[in-house]
Amino acid sequence: MQTQEEQNAADAAFAARALDLLADEPVPAALEARILGDFDRLAAAPSLAARLAQAIRRASETIWPGAPLWQPACVLALSLILGLAAGMLVPSSALVHDNSDVMQTASLDAPPQLDLSGGEL
Amino acid sequence: MTFDPDAELVARIARGDRAAASALMARHLPKMLALARRMLSDRTEAEDVAQEAFLKVWTHAARWKPGKAKFETWLYRVTLNQCYDRLRRKPTLDLEAAAHLADPEPGPQKALEDTVLAAEVERALASLPERQRAAVVLCHYRGCGNIEAAEILGISVEALESLLSRGRRTLRTKLAHLKDL
Repeated sequence: MQTQEEQNAADAAFAARALDLLADEPVPAALEARILGDFDRLAAAPSLAARLAQAIRRASETIWPGAPLWQPACVLALSLILGLAAGMLVPSSALVHDNSDVMQTASLDAPPQLDLSGGEL
Repeated sequence: MTFDPDAELVARIARGDRAAASALMARHLPKMLALARRMLSDRTEAEDVAQEAFLKVWTHAARWKPGKAKFETWLYRVTLNQCYDRLRRKPTLDLEAAAHLADPEPGPQKALEDTVLAAEVERALASLPERQRAAVVLCHYRGCGNIEAAEILGISVEALESLLSRGRRTLRTKLAHLKDL
């Protein structure tokens, strides 16, 4: 009576003998050429995403040399958040001096309208 | 952090080094092709899978972050996932194709017997559920240990051992009639 482990070992040995019968096939030269052809094509014309990523990396390297990309990205995000928060929370000077309640308009280029008839007096 | 023998090659590939691309391909293509071939039972599809996997390498090399996982683990996971995608696109197992690929050719008696045996093994392998097949093939053809194979499959070592055990048992049952094994 085989134990579970012995049975597993026997199964493994059998499977190994069986799979060894499947011969390794050589890699076709045409496939290698196709794969390297893809590499050459991409190297000659990097994708838009790759160019964008490269530009971002270059800009990040200029702004903050040696730092990983997340650091300048975090600083930029933080400054955006601070700017938005300031924009929403701090009242603008126009609002502070708001006198729209008593606003009067007068046309300066029109002649003054004087009623000398006394009207309804 | 584990040493990654491919990290330097990948960094050079990201800089457009063709020699590095060629070296990486020479290092991994034969085993990737064998893996895809055994998973799909189709040589042409296996070649397409290998080409697509390398295309991913070429496009993702610049974004590769060494130290997270071994490059090789990622590469074989990509290969396996592409095999799964293709297997799902053809819902029934193409056993006819599996048999056809290893059809006996005219030749000496021993070679003929070997080819017939290989065809039987190919059919038995193709009939395994895909996860079991992946586990058996990874451990046999790539010769990777259980921990690495589990990482590639994205499962625990215990789950891998269970897959391996069931896969091998099924293979043995299906091939029990072969006296020469």
